[in-house]
Amino acid sequence: MRRKLVYTFIYIFLSISAFISIFPFYWMIVGSTNASVDIIKGKITFGTKFIENFKNLIETFGLGQVLLNSLEVSIFVVIGSLIVSSLAGYGFEIYKSKSRNRVYAVVLWTLMIPPAALMVPLFRLMNVFNLIDSLWGVILPMIPSVFLIFFFRQNFQQYPKEIIMAARVDGASELRIFFSIVMPSMKATYAAAAIYAFMTSWNAYLWPLVIIQSSEKRTMTLFISNLASGYNPDFGVVMTGVVVATLPMIIVFFALQRYFVQGVLGSVKQ
Amino acid sequence: MKKVILMLLIISMLIGLFGVVNAAKKVTIWCWDPNFNVAIMEEAASRYQKLHPDVEFEVVSMAKADVEQKLNTILASGVKRGLPEIVLIEDYNAQKYLQSYPGSFADLTREFNYKEFAPYKVKLMTLNGKVYGVPFDSGVAGWFYRRDYFEQAGINPEDLKNITWDEFIEIGKIVKEKTGKYMISGDPYDGGLMRILLHSAGTWYFDEKGNPNIANNEVLKDALKIYKELFASGIMKETSGWNEWVASFNNGEVASVVTGVWIIGSIKAEKSQTGKWGVLPVPRLDLPGAVNASNLGGSSWYVLNNSENKDIAIDFLREIYAKDIDFYQKILIERGAFGTWLPAQNGYAYRAEDPFFGNQRIFLDFSEWLKKIPSVDFGLFTYEADGAIMGVMPDVYNGNLTIDEALKLAEEQFKNTLGF
Repeated sequence: MRRKLVYTFIYIFLSISAFISIFPFYWMIVGSTNASVDIIKGKITFGTKFIENFKNLIETFGLGQVLLNSLEVSIFVVIGSLIVSSLAGYGFEIYKSKSRNRVYAVVLWTLMIPPAALMVPLFRLMNVFNLIDSLWGVILPMIPSVFLIFFFRQNFQQYPKEIIMAARVDGASELRIFFSIVMPSMKATYAAAAIYAFMTSWNAYLWPLVIIQSSEKRTMTLFISNLASGYNPDFGVVMTGVVVATLPMIIVFFALQRYFVQGVLGSVKQ
Repeated sequence: MKKVILMLLIISMLIGLFGVVNAAKKVTIWCWDPNFNVAIMEEAASRYQKLHPDVEFEVVSMAKADVEQKLNTILASGVKRGLPEIVLIEDYNAQKYLQSYPGSFADLTREFNYKEFAPYKVKLMTLNGKVYGVPFDSGVAGWFYRRDYFEQAGINPEDLKNITWDEFIEIGKIVKEKTGKYMISGDPYDGGLMRILLHSAGTWYFDEKGNPNIANNEVLKDALKIYKELFASGIMKETSGWNEWVASFNNGEVASVVTGVWIIGSIKAEKSQTGKWGVLPVPRLDLPGAVNASNLGGSSWYVLNNSENKDIAIDFLREIYAKDIDFYQKILIERGAFGTWLPAQNGYAYRAEDPFFGNQRIFLDFSEWLKKIPSVDFGLFTYEADGAIMGVMPDVYNGNLTIDEALKLAEEQFKNTLGF
């Protein structure tokens, strides 16, 4: 009897929490099917304006190019930062040296610098490389990720060192060991890291905002910020834009979800 | 084969990622709001292109906060590339940019005849005797009222042309009693109305030297008193955020709106209220020097000194914004943009009767009020001062602090945050 009561409370609590987390999504989707006036009035039922909003979004605001830009940025950031960060994490874990942990500490400290403080120096650096107003200027600074280095190192800690040693005895080069033996057996870790890298690069706002100047190179976040900026924005179009911007994230998450849970738990069991 | 295609695809993507070299005669403009500033600048650009077909324009539409963030980063970095030719800056922030980044904006003193622009606009972009911008839209304030509600309450709008805020509150009580409608609506923690009150008395949060003038500012004390009374008397409907505010008059819940001329678009959006609205001059504070004219918001164009085609940009602004009367008529009709270049106000659009406002020639009235707006030095930290004062408002409303105490506290907090 008491157990039932406890469960009732748990379910009520969980239902409320679920409602709170899902409602914004629900409203976003409903909003994309309504006209701006109805959204302001607080209509929370489905309307019939989705196709109109979507057409508006593509025709008047040039959605296609923006999506392409964002995809390019995200794909290159994901590939780049998986390779760079996992190599760094691997290096920190496998190769022992006196100053290893000191260097690692310095790397971790950089997590404490707020990104906004890096904008001005980073902008000057990109000017030297001639990368202002180019998508490479967006991609390159986002590739090294301290969090991912940390994440990979944690995961490599559980990797059986005996396998690496055995590979060395068999005469494999260090890079070969990494790419042919370690990497393929850590799929789950890589999947989790890929979700993280995709999420941060897809949602990146401040840096693309500063470095991108021309409209045809804008990424999704800048595009949405502009949509919602007017004195009188068309909220139907804004909501449709947000739906479109959320889709790739959802797709990536569900495609890699199976690995994600495993990856966070740890890849290799001994 | 698959690999080759993949490689080609990647290579083509890589190439697309690099920057393109700018065309020779290209003017880039940064501004916000696709339906207002951006659309107006595009109209201006197409007019200029008819005269000079070799000039290209790129009007980049961004959120206002984004324009500010970008401008700050690039100017602070000292990098001379990546800057647009022209940028839109909100009037309240103009001095902040001019004083923080000296030499970044082109001195336009000799390029324009500034006597042709509204004086208060020119003042806010003047630093050490030099003028740095091209005045654009005005936020000249008006008191929009519902003719039908006022009539129902037995009030004759003709008698309301030169009233004070105290009288406004008394009339509001009558309206509330007779019609059941609120007199106005607004957010108790929004400083917009405060700025209207201050500007109408020719005062601001700062003195001439730019030091905060909050604790001993008699005008501000009066303004706070009005704020408190508006809510205490029950004639003001509390709203939060823009949408709720606009909805309050679109729904017909309130009898009047006191704000900048740019609200006309939102008022007229409710077609069912055609003929029911009118406009009066704003009430004034009961103080010497206070007038029945004020302003809320507005922005202006600035030319960047280090941009590539600075001279073309200046010529463009001169040809359109200081010469093209027809342009100003078009943007007033299509976008509701109330320009501050005075010769444009003899044009047809400014003299037209508006059936929505009961055939009142509203823009003619606004033109008159525009000339009466006192010139005010906005200083550097309008929004910060706004925030400090709104921070103490809860204690003012519930009576924990007297107005004097509250303003003293606000000044202390303001000084602490900004290190005065």
